[in-house]
Amino acid sequence: MAEKELLSQIRNLSVEYKTRLGQVSAVDSVSFDIYKGEILGLVGESGCGKSTMGKALMRMIQPPGKITGGQIIFQGEDIMTYDDNQMRDFRGRKVSMIFQDPMTSLNPTQRVDEHIIEAIQVHEPQVKIEEALKLAEKMIRKLGMQKRRMNSYPHQLSGGMRQRVMVGLGLVLNADLIVADEATTSLDVIVEAQLADQLKDIREEFGVSLLVITHNIALVAEISDRIVVMYAGHVMEIANVEPIFDNPLHPYTRGLLKSIPNIKLNDTEELYKMPGEPPNLTHPPSGCRFHPRCPRVMPICKVHGPDLTEVSPGRFVKCWLYIDHPEKESETIKVEA
Amino acid sequence: MESEKINKEIAPTPEEVPEWLLDLDKVGFVRRLFLARKWYGGDWWFVAISAVLLLFFIIVGIFPQWFAPYDPRAEVGPSLLAPGEPPASYLLITPLESGDIRFRDISDRTNNIGFIIGSAASQAMREATDELNEDAPEGVRYQPRQQRYETLEEGLQSLADGEIDGFIASPEELGGTLEDFPTLQVVSTLREVGESGFIFGTNQIGQDILSRIIWGTRIALIVGLSSAVVSFLIGVPLGLVSGFVGGPFDRILTLLMDSLYSFPGLILAISIAAVLGAGIGNIIVSIAVLYVPTYYRIVRGQTLAVREELYVEAARSIGTKWTTILRKYIFPNVIPSVVIIFSVNVGDAILTEAGLSFLGFGLPPDTPDWGIDLARGQDYVRRAWWLITYPGLMVTMVTLSFSMLGESLSEILNPRLTER
Amino acid sequence: MSSSLRRFLITRILLTIPMVLILVTMIFFIMRVLPGDPIRSQLGPRVSEEQADALRERLGLNRPLYIQYFDFLWDMVTLDFGTALTQGERPIRDELGERLPATIELTIPAIAITALIGILSGAFAAKNRKKPIDYSIRLLSIAIYSIPIFFMGLIFQIIFAVRIPILPLSGRMDTLLLTQFESITNFYVIDAILTGNWPALRSALTHLIMPSITLGLALTGVFVRLTRVNMIEMLQSDFITAGRARGIPERRLVYKHALRNTFIPILTLLGLQFAILLAGAVLTETTFSWPGVGRYLVDRIELRDYTAVQATIGVFALFVALISLLMDIIYALIDPRIRY
Repeated sequence: MAEKELLSQIRNLSVEYKTRLGQVSAVDSVSFDIYKGEILGLVGESGCGKSTMGKALMRMIQPPGKITGGQIIFQGEDIMTYDDNQMRDFRGRKVSMIFQDPMTSLNPTQRVDEHIIEAIQVHEPQVKIEEALKLAEKMIRKLGMQKRRMNSYPHQLSGGMRQRVMVGLGLVLNADLIVADEATTSLDVIVEAQLADQLKDIREEFGVSLLVITHNIALVAEISDRIVVMYAGHVMEIANVEPIFDNPLHPYTRGLLKSIPNIKLNDTEELYKMPGEPPNLTHPPSGCRFHPRCPRVMPICKVHGPDLTEVSPGRFVKCWLYIDHPEKESETIKVEA
Repeated sequence: MESEKINKEIAPTPEEVPEWLLDLDKVGFVRRLFLARKWYGGDWWFVAISAVLLLFFIIVGIFPQWFAPYDPRAEVGPSLLAPGEPPASYLLITPLESGDIRFRDISDRTNNIGFIIGSAASQAMREATDELNEDAPEGVRYQPRQQRYETLEEGLQSLADGEIDGFIASPEELGGTLEDFPTLQVVSTLREVGESGFIFGTNQIGQDILSRIIWGTRIALIVGLSSAVVSFLIGVPLGLVSGFVGGPFDRILTLLMDSLYSFPGLILAISIAAVLGAGIGNIIVSIAVLYVPTYYRIVRGQTLAVREELYVEAARSIGTKWTTILRKYIFPNVIPSVVIIFSVNVGDAILTEAGLSFLGFGLPPDTPDWGIDLARGQDYVRRAWWLITYPGLMVTMVTLSFSMLGESLSEILNPRLTER
Repeated sequence: MSSSLRRFLITRILLTIPMVLILVTMIFFIMRVLPGDPIRSQLGPRVSEEQADALRERLGLNRPLYIQYFDFLWDMVTLDFGTALTQGERPIRDELGERLPATIELTIPAIAITALIGILSGAFAAKNRKKPIDYSIRLLSIAIYSIPIFFMGLIFQIIFAVRIPILPLSGRMDTLLLTQFESITNFYVIDAILTGNWPALRSALTHLIMPSITLGLALTGVFVRLTRVNMIEMLQSDFITAGRARGIPERRLVYKHALRNTFIPILTLLGLQFAILLAGAVLTETTFSWPGVGRYLVDRIELRDYTAVQATIGVFALFVALISLLMDIIYALIDPRIRY
C-alpha cells in the first residue's frame, strides 16, 4: 500500500428511517474514504448502521428510510446528483454487492448462466448472448467452479458456491468496488475461510476494492487492510489493521476487541462484557453516543459529541480522550504515529 | 391524534419510552388498532369507515321498523312505479242522478264499486277505504264490494245501468270514453296527483322497495352472522385440536376438510339447501358447512407453527396440561387471523345467501330478502331497472363493509407483510 | 430427476382418489341421508304409493343403502349415470356431454380475463404499496369482490342489452341461426369455425362477451388481492434487493423476477379459485340463460330430479379433482425447487 489512490469518499452521509416511533438516525454524518484495491472492514454490533451504510453507498435505501444528507464521491463524481438511469448503471457496473444469505439472494427460478447474462445485458445491451455466455463461463472458471454449474439452479448449489456466484455477478462487469454485507456470516467456518481467502485472491487478480461489512472482527483482522469501527450510526475509529489490533484507541474498539472469544482463554481470564445495551436511535444519547456505556466517560462526553479527528497519519478517532476542547478537564492523550 | 400526543409528551430520553410503544407488535391487537392509525394510514381509515358502515347496517338490521316507511310484505302502491314517480291519481265516477256524493257515501258493505281487472285502482280503493276506517266512529266499518270488469266500457255500462254504485279508474284508463256515457259524472279524485311517490319505487306487486331492502338487511345479517358463528364454533376447535394432537386424526380430518374446501361452495350449499328444504335455519346450516374448512385450515396451520415454538416446548416440558397450553399459548396466537376470517366470512356468507335465494333455494318466496328480490327483478330487466339495482347495491355495500374490514385488518395485523 | 418426477406424479394421482371418494361419498350422503324423500318430492303427493314403490324398485332405491352407495360409486367410475327422471328420460351422460362444453366455453375466457387483469393490477399495486394507487386498486378489488355475480350480470344486461342495445341479452346464439347450426363438438365457437359458418361465429362470440366478462371480473377481486399479497412478500425478498444492487431495472425486477416467482404460489391458489369459478359459473349461467352444467343442475334441483342432480354434482367433483391434479403437475414442472 505504498501509494494509495482514492476510489471513493463518503462525506457526512446521514440516513434516517421514519418509524412508528419517530425518526431514527441510523447513520449520522459518517465520513470515510475507500482506496483502490484495498479491503476495508466495516465492523460494529448488529444494529449499528453498518448494513444501512452499505446500502446507502449504492443509494439503495428504501422507504421509509431516506438519505438525508452528505456526499458520496465515487471516482470524482458525486453520485448523489445522479438521476435514476445513471444510478442504475452505477449499481452493478461500478459497485456491486454480496448479501448475507446466499440461499435467498439469487432468483430461485433463474439458472446461474441466466443470472450472469442478465447482469451483462442489462448494462451492455449491445453484447450478444454468445459473448455474454463466454464471459460468464470464464468468470465461473475463475471462481473455481465447474462449467456444468452454469446450468444449475441456485437451490442445487451449496452456500459457498452461491456466494461465489454472487461475487462473480459483481465481477463480470468489472466493478471497482464490491460491498460484502455479512457475506460470510451464514456459511460454516471452513467455507467461510475459503471464501475469505478467495476474496483476497479476487482483490489481487481484479484489483477491485472490497468493503467487508461484518460483526466478525476475527474475519476483518484476517483479510482487511483498514478498519472502520461503527457504533450507533457513528464512525468511532478508522485505522490500518495492525495498529488497531495492537493499540485500539477508542474505548468502544477496546471493548469490542476484548469481547472476542479466544481459544487460549483459560479459567482465570474472563470474557469482557460491555455494560449496557446499544442505544435506541430514535432518541440517541446526548453528546457522544457511546458515553452511557463508556468505561472512561468524562463530564464533557455527555454534553458535546466529538468530531472524527485524524490523531496520527491515517488514524482517525472520535473520542474526547484524544481531542482538545476548552471545557475539557483532563489531559489530552497524544498518539504516536 | 392520540398516539401523536403520546409520542410528544413522553420519551425525551430512551428510558422513558413505555414498553408497549417501543414495539407495536407486542401490544394486544385492540390497542394496536388504535395505535396503528399513524403507521397504517390508509388501512386504518378503511377499517374505520367500514366499522361505521357496519354499525349503521347493524342498527338498520335490528330496528328495521324505525327506518322502513311501509310494511315490506304489503302492497302499498301501484306496481312497477319508478323511483320518485308519483302514483297516478284515480277518479271516482258516479251516475249524475246521485248528485254530489263522496266516496264515503257509497263505501258501505252493501255498496258495489267497480274497476278494471289488473288496474291499480283496487289499490287506490283499498287505501281510500283504510283511510275512512281510521277516522270512522266506533262500530262503523267501510268495506264496499269490489266488482271487476274486463273492459272499461263494460264497467261504465253497468254503472249507467245502476248495477253498481260507483266506478274507479285512472285518467289514462278513462281517456275520452266517459263522453259516451252522458249519465255519468266524475265526482272526486281518490288520490291527490301531487302525492309523492316511493323513493326507490315499487315492485311488480306494489311493494315498497325501500322497505323491502331495509327489512332485507335483517335477514342478510341474521344469515351472515349466524352461519359465520356456527362455522367458527366448529372450525376453530377442530383446527386447534387437529393441529395440536396431530397423528392419524389430523391427517384424516385434513383430507376431509381439504376435499370440502376444494369443492365449489355454492354448489354444495345448493344441494344441502335443496335437500333440507326452505327455511332460514336450513340456509344457515348449508352456508355454515362451507366455511368450516376455512377456519380449520388457518387455525390448524397456525397451531402447528406455534406448537413448535420454544415457549410451548418449555411449557410442555414442565408438565403444563395440554388444555392449558391450547388455551393460554396457542389460542391467543390464532385470534388475529380468526378475526380477519370471521369478518370476510360474514361478507361471503351474505353473498352466498343472496346467491342461494337468487337461484330460488332457501327462503320462503315472499321473505323480504335481497336475493329473492333480485331473482324476481330479473324478469323485469327490460322494464324496471330499479327492481334489481337497489337490492343488489345493498348486498354489495354490506359485503363490501365486511370485506373491507377484514382485508384492512389483515394488512394491519398480518406479520408476514410488515415492512422491514 | 425424471424418475423422481414420475414418482411424484404417481403419488399425486393416487392422492386424488381419496379426495374424489370423499366428495362423492359426501354427495351421496347429502342426497340420501338428510331428511326428505326424493321420490315423493319428485312424483308429488297425488301419485299412489304403489307407483312410488315401482319407481323406487326401478331405480334400486329399495335396496340396502350400502349397495346403493357402491352402485353410485360404480356409476362415477364408468361415467354412466343412467337416465334422468324428467324431461324425456334422456341419458344423463348425453345431457352433460352437451352442457359441459358450454360451461367450459364460458370459463376459459373468464379465466383469461381474471388472470390478466388480476395479476397485472395486483403486481402494480404491490409495486406501489401504500401509495394512493395501491389503495384505489385494493378498494376497487374489494368492491368487485363484493358485487354478487348475478347482480353484475343483470347490471351489464341493463346497460349493454337494454339501454344501449349492442349485445344480446342472453343465450349462446341467436335462435334463428341456431336452428340451422350444425354442432360437432358443442363448443359453438369451434363448431362455427370448423363449419365456416361466419354469422354463427359472430353470434356465438357476441353472446359470449357479457357472460365471460361478468364471470371473469367477479373473480378478479380475489385474484388482485392474492397477487398483491404474494408480490409484496416477494418484493421484500433478498434476491430482489440483490438484483437492484446489480442495477437491474425496477420494471424488470417487478414484472420478471418477482412476478415469475409469484406465479408459483398463485398457481396453487388458482387451483383453489377454480371452485369459486365453478360456483360463479352456476350463477352466471342462470343470469344469462347459458345452457351449461350449472344451469342444468339448478333446473334439475327445481324439478327434484335427484338422479340427474346426483350425477351432475358428482361430475363437478371429478372436475375439481382433475383440475387440482393438473395444477399440482404444472406446479411441479414450473418450480425448479420442488421436492418430489
